[in-house]
Amino acid sequence: MSAPARSNYSVAIVGAGIIGLYTAYHLARAGTGPILVVDRGFLSSGASGRNGGGVRQQWETRATLRLARESVAAYRRFGREFGYNIWFRQSGYLFLAETDAELARLRPVHDLVRSEGLDSRVLDADGVRRLVDGIAPGAAVGGTYLGTDGTLYPFPALWGLYEAVRALDVEVALGVEVLGVTTADGRVTGLATSRGPVTASRVVNAAGGWSGDLSRAAGLDVPNHATRHEILATEPMKPFLDPMVVRPSDGLYFSQTMRGEIVGGLTLPHAPGTGGGMSSSAAFLPRMAASLSRLVPRLGSLGVLRAWSGYYDDTPDGFPIIGEDLRCPGFFHANGFGGHGFMLAPSATRRIARAVMGEATDLDPGLFGPGRFTGAARPAAVERLQLG
Amino acid sequence: MVEPSRSRFWFEGRSHDAEPGRTVLDRLLRHGLPSLQRSPRYHRPRAPFCGIGQCTGCLVRVNGRPNVRACRYVPGEGDRVETENAWPSRRFDLLAAFDVMFPNGIDTLHGFRRPAFMTPLYHRVIRRLAGYGQPPSRESATELRGPPRVGSADVLIVGAGRSGRVAAEALVAEGRHPILLDRRADVAPVAGADVWASTTASFLPPRPSTPGAAFDLIGYTEPARGVLVRAPQVIVATGSYDASLLFGSNDRPGVLTGDGALGFARSGSPAPFHHAVVFGAGDRARVVLDELGDHVSALVAPGEIPPETVRVASAAGIPLYPRSLLCTTEGRSRVRAVEIRARGNGSSTRLECDAVVLVHRRLPNGQLFFQAGARMNWRAGTGSYYPVVGDDGATSVPGLWAIGSASGTVGAASVGSGERVAAAVTGGSLPLSPLERVRSDGSNELEGYYRELVRIPRRGRWIACPCEDVLLEEIEQTTRAGYRGVEVVKRYSGLGTGLCQGRYCLPDALLLLSIAEGRPPSEVGYITQRPPVHPTPIAALAALDGVLTPAEGT
Ligand SMILES: Cc1cc2nc3c(=O)[nH]c(=O)nc-3n(C[C@H](O)[C@H](O)[C@H](O)COP(=O)(O)OP(=O)(O)OC[C@H]3O[C@@H](n4cnc5c(N)ncnc54)[C@H](O)[C@@H]3O)c2cc1C
Ligand code: FES
Repeated sequence: MSAPARSNYSVAIVGAGIIGLYTAYHLARAGTGPILVVDRGFLSSGASGRNGGGVRQQWETRATLRLARESVAAYRRFGREFGYNIWFRQSGYLFLAETDAELARLRPVHDLVRSEGLDSRVLDADGVRRLVDGIAPGAAVGGTYLGTDGTLYPFPALWGLYEAVRALDVEVALGVEVLGVTTADGRVTGLATSRGPVTASRVVNAAGGWSGDLSRAAGLDVPNHATRHEILATEPMKPFLDPMVVRPSDGLYFSQTMRGEIVGGLTLPHAPGTGGGMSSSAAFLPRMAASLSRLVPRLGSLGVLRAWSGYYDDTPDGFPIIGEDLRCPGFFHANGFGGHGFMLAPSATRRIARAVMGEATDLDPGLFGPGRFTGAARPAAVERLQLG
Repeated sequence: MVEPSRSRFWFEGRSHDAEPGRTVLDRLLRHGLPSLQRSPRYHRPRAPFCGIGQCTGCLVRVNGRPNVRACRYVPGEGDRVETENAWPSRRFDLLAAFDVMFPNGIDTLHGFRRPAFMTPLYHRVIRRLAGYGQPPSRESATELRGPPRVGSADVLIVGAGRSGRVAAEALVAEGRHPILLDRRADVAPVAGADVWASTTASFLPPRPSTPGAAFDLIGYTEPARGVLVRAPQVIVATGSYDASLLFGSNDRPGVLTGDGALGFARSGSPAPFHHAVVFGAGDRARVVLDELGDHVSALVAPGEIPPETVRVASAAGIPLYPRSLLCTTEGRSRVRAVEIRARGNGSSTRLECDAVVLVHRRLPNGQLFFQAGARMNWRAGTGSYYPVVGDDGATSVPGLWAIGSASGTVGAASVGSGERVAAAVTGGSLPLSPLERVRSDGSNELEGYYRELVRIPRRGRWIACPCEDVLLEEIEQTTRAGYRGVEVVKRYSGLGTGLCQGRYCLPDALLLLSIAEGRPPSEVGYITQRPPVHPTPIAALAALDGVLTPAEGT
């Protein structure tokens, strides 16, 4: 519980998750003056410490795909750049199709991925069986697979960034809650925190599942909505599964981590909003267990070790919200990452930092800009591939 | 659950008699304390430690199902029991070389980053070393695919220890018909109550907010079958357990908790030790001296030894070492001696022994309270959380009751609390006098103890988390690197993420971190108790899908 050391900052970032820390890193390297990152929790208490570690480049839109591809390159370098081994293992992402119609729906993604020069494959039932040892007969007619997708360990990424930004004189105040954004003449002047006011002409909202709450507290009407997602880990065992496996029909995803656990979740209908706490529900464990063991029956005799949950920060069109909110100059959005903030963080935050510094970015404002939901504006496209 | 009396199971190619209600470990203990497996990172020999299905000291593979606890599993006809995570065998394991090669530990956080082209190879090697055992066989899951056991009652009692049984009897006397469940295989019947033995309670979610909704307790039986009990009233009588302790080579076979030592001795097999060093001097130590006095060669205590204990020990001719640090064990695959040191920079003494029995502190099994959302209270005296309970045993959650040592009551009051709660549950009117709680507060004896202990020169491996082979040095480095709080330390080091669900390492970690961070243990963190309470087979959970009404996740 460290109160902010000074009262005046060049940029104040709300949220010390992967988005907040990475943004601070890019800003500090560019030298933008004193930077403060505030978080009410401990390091890793948000979604960045609760996710499945999946990193994929198979997307429905070129814009997301390119961000993801750039992030893959960054995560490959991460260990050498930040001193922490994130165990980024490029052993593929497999989207399963249970029917030919589902396979046909995955086709356009496959074509797009190939058109970007990535080696996506369409697999038949045999191909799937070779990748998922013990898959139930008839469980999939085929699927799409990209071998350079993969999984990583989220925690060391946070440690590496935390130490890197502190070495660059960024101040990270943990256990400090942001109560609101202060303004004068419609412009941002700083933050009201549980440890007193902080002055900063630029505020970045990287509050993950709570970013909608923060924007609305600042009087901004935003479409972000938090949804709770549950996830579990099994007992660790010797390696038997390489890729991340996703089954679109019920949103099941799972992979085997470096430690040997199966980590995965599925989509359950949950009440939106951040009021539900981050515990597990009675419905999740049986549902997830049934879904997983229907697909890979041999996992039935493995024990579930723990279950937990976290918040996705969803947007109506499936794209994150990046950039300055012109209704409140100085207020920058770095949120709306749904279930994919980790895999998009390195590249997306590079653009966020640019925007904060007043530089142009290559992001299409019609897809990513905060203004796309206001007035008569209509989202230019929709990124529907939200699973896994 | 009815076994023919002459059935046999297989262990390492030899057949053994299986007896009703007797576990695999009961059977193996006839030949002494077995070292059944190797530890995950350094492949150190490990042996049963707790005897109550809570540690990782007795994991075996049964019929292709990994990580079955030998001290809980009652084998049936033809069961194949194998050992895990040792190559080529549990007695001689080549991978034990890691223990020698990496005296300062394997640093997977910073290591293995260079050169870049080696990355795939590092991944392959480290993955192969991780994990307790081989993945389950195909057949193992088929065998487990059975219908769940579903029940409902107006009162469910979790835990058939003394207080749980007293509550069950009192409820029956009031005309109720409770379900009484317990993890143990050998639970004596209670007339009028429905007793479910070998049944583990895994998850007690908060009661749905809809009016009239009951609690749904999720669990499993051995061999794995899903369990669902629906009840408007739940009495949690999960009791307490003997804690572990940190010292050099604290994971060596022969180091046991009091639960283990007493349980093994009571199992009817010859006691698996002959001259043990007992660590601790309270009630629990006297129970060990009473039952196992002939097998105890010394009693070591962190503080003064109470007169009652001095009397019992002196009568048995057992030498006493008050105010001492337990520094390290010696031996190879079995404890041969311990080194102790008088506190306040005193001299050190070597005591020969073949076991160490830890009875210095007892901790409550409070996970179900946490899960159900009951308000909890930190007690510095024992260094753990207890539910906040009223004089009638009511927790802050309506319909959830706490009795016995899990609730923080002691001695006779702990047993009597069962009657009291039964009266409250049924609306009866017993005269209520205040319950005698655990020494309500005060300072924790172990805090000062650890303050001294961490400063002595170290010999052997100091294993802060045996399930995951996390070393004390790794925890200390985490603090030095500027990370604070038990939740962050867990994620940084892996401490507390193994199969014991943090039961044995986290209570001590709270004390050690409080010393390192210079703030009280309660500020170092609240240990989140994520479900399930014990690892629960996926097949058992899957069988409950659709049985549970698909309640909205609240
Ligand atoms: C179960 C689950 C699985 C997922 N799987 C994947 C995956 O496989 N791959 C992937 O790329 N992504 C995945 N995600 C999504 C990913 O985790 C998130 O998109 C990403 O971590 C978001 O990072 P963040 O920094 O924006 O938010 P967070 O990590 O949530 O950080 C936000 C921080 O803001 C703080 N905060 C909020 N409000 C305030 C306030 N008022 N004052 C002070 N501090 C505040 C919070 O304490 C929190 O620490 C998953 C998410 C979940 C929940
Ligand atoms: S001895 Fe069986 S789990 Fe501890």
